[in-house]
Amino acid sequence: MKRVFNKKWVSVLFWIAILIAIWEIGAFVVLYTKRTPENILPHIYNVIAMAFSKEKVAGKLTASQVVFQSAGATLLRALLGYILGAFVGFVLALIMKLSGIVEKLIFPYLMLIQLIPVIGLAPIILAMTGSINKSRVIIAAILSFYPVAANTLAGMKAVSKEKYDLMYMYAAPKRMIFSKVLIPSSIPYLFTGLKTAAPMAITASILVDTLQGDGGLGCMLSQSLKHAMNIYVFWLIVFFSAIIGILSTYVISWIELLVSPYKRTAKSGKRKVKEA
Amino acid sequence: MAAVQKRKRPKPLWKRASENKNFQTALTIILPVLLAILIFYQWESGQLNILFHTDTHTLPKPTRIAMIYRDNSHAVWTNIASTSGVALLGIIIGSLIGYGFAVLAAFFPNMGAGGLSVIGAFASIPIVALAPVMNNWTKDVSTEASVRSFVAKVLVVTLIAAADMGLNAFRGLTELPSYAMDLMKSFAASRFKTFVKLQLPNSVPYIFTALKVSVPASIMTAIVSEYFAEYVVGVGRAIRENIVLAQYSTAWVYIVAACGIGLVFYGVLMVMQQILLKRYHTN
Repeated sequence: MKRVFNKKWVSVLFWIAILIAIWEIGAFVVLYTKRTPENILPHIYNVIAMAFSKEKVAGKLTASQVVFQSAGATLLRALLGYILGAFVGFVLALIMKLSGIVEKLIFPYLMLIQLIPVIGLAPIILAMTGSINKSRVIIAAILSFYPVAANTLAGMKAVSKEKYDLMYMYAAPKRMIFSKVLIPSSIPYLFTGLKTAAPMAITASILVDTLQGDGGLGCMLSQSLKHAMNIYVFWLIVFFSAIIGILSTYVISWIELLVSPYKRTAKSGKRKVKEA
Repeated sequence: MAAVQKRKRPKPLWKRASENKNFQTALTIILPVLLAILIFYQWESGQLNILFHTDTHTLPKPTRIAMIYRDNSHAVWTNIASTSGVALLGIIIGSLIGYGFAVLAAFFPNMGAGGLSVIGAFASIPIVALAPVMNNWTKDVSTEASVRSFVAKVLVVTLIAAADMGLNAFRGLTELPSYAMDLMKSFAASRFKTFVKLQLPNSVPYIFTALKVSVPASIMTAIVSEYFAEYVVGVGRAIRENIVLAQYSTAWVYIVAACGIGLVFYGVLMVMQQILLKRYHTN
């Protein structure tokens, strides 16, 4: 019995169960005290039932179809901006490492971007670009650009002096120092940045939707909140975006394991590399 | 013996400059300032508008933004006070709750670690999903819409701040120097004593790591939850309302204000870190 509780996933499940229990107790209380319980705290099974129901909520679409269709528009743009921002951030970190002058020129501004609430810029970027799709991509890119650039640069700076000395002894050209030492050692830091950026890019993209009625998760969210649609669509979107947000970090961790084999062996501990 | 003295050729100027430490340090200040002046000049002269393909209406000149601020300074400060109040209160309550959870988890590590990863998942939930839910839940808190909205916004910020603090503080309380725990055992120190003398001090730098993430995130959260709040107040809401009214210059005043709040909060945090972590820097 005690061994079972030492497993981490068991305790995770335990806490999720407790959260669901609290939610359901709250839902029962709300059910008997409020006039419109589904606005405040619906039963979780009702939300799940809504996800699988065939009832049409908007035109010819069921609730799940509405969510998935709008999620497609929102999340694809978020992903595009995320990849774009991460790429620019990584390249910028490389350039900053290559040239001291560029680093001195840009680094303070990189610090500043972190402190600026970029989401506050969402409406103005929408006004400037005029297109909701463009502004989704741009905001997601700005948000993911900073953590990636800052973390990658930190990773390249954390390379120990011994490694440089070794490369010096090998008479390695600068190109090789980058490809063999700097970039590999910045990879774990890069993923730290990517993990921070992923939920932020999704949040930003959904938020941009709420600013203009043009499809997308955020638009559906505010519409169902105003009772233009079944209120359960609202809860469905809340749960859906929460799950997507949480999943995004897990997906990035999974990709990290995929591209860094050393981490894989370190984690399992048992898997030994065969001697050649 | 007239030895042929090799005459030292003077190093070229750029080489002397790149070897001079003082000059390099000065560059770290001079270059960004130059860039700032350049951007300001380009912005003021309208070049930036051409670059972004916008008119001076959506991207007004800095002097015009300053003028608008002067005319509306009272309203601007009311909104700044609201947003900073929400962010500050949320950060304080959230960090305390997060730290409390971390302490509980450190005492019962088997169950606690799982609980913390559940709490950590809250940090990944989009704020846009949390804010309207909190609005619904706080409908009964007060009959005043302003109080209701304030509570709802603080709750969202609290949740985000608690998630960051919980994860980091737990690491600070459990990732101890090797053998430190064994030393405490050999002293026959009580569980409480070990906590006060070893784990608590060890977690202090981690608290600041958490705050460095959660302070900017909290301000962003406060701004986003204002978008959904019932009561119209706050910097974020002002940005949105003014854009809906097509008063872009006023919206820009609030964007500058939002950046200002971010900078001031971070500055205060840095000063606090300097004061509280002095001991860690000296050794």
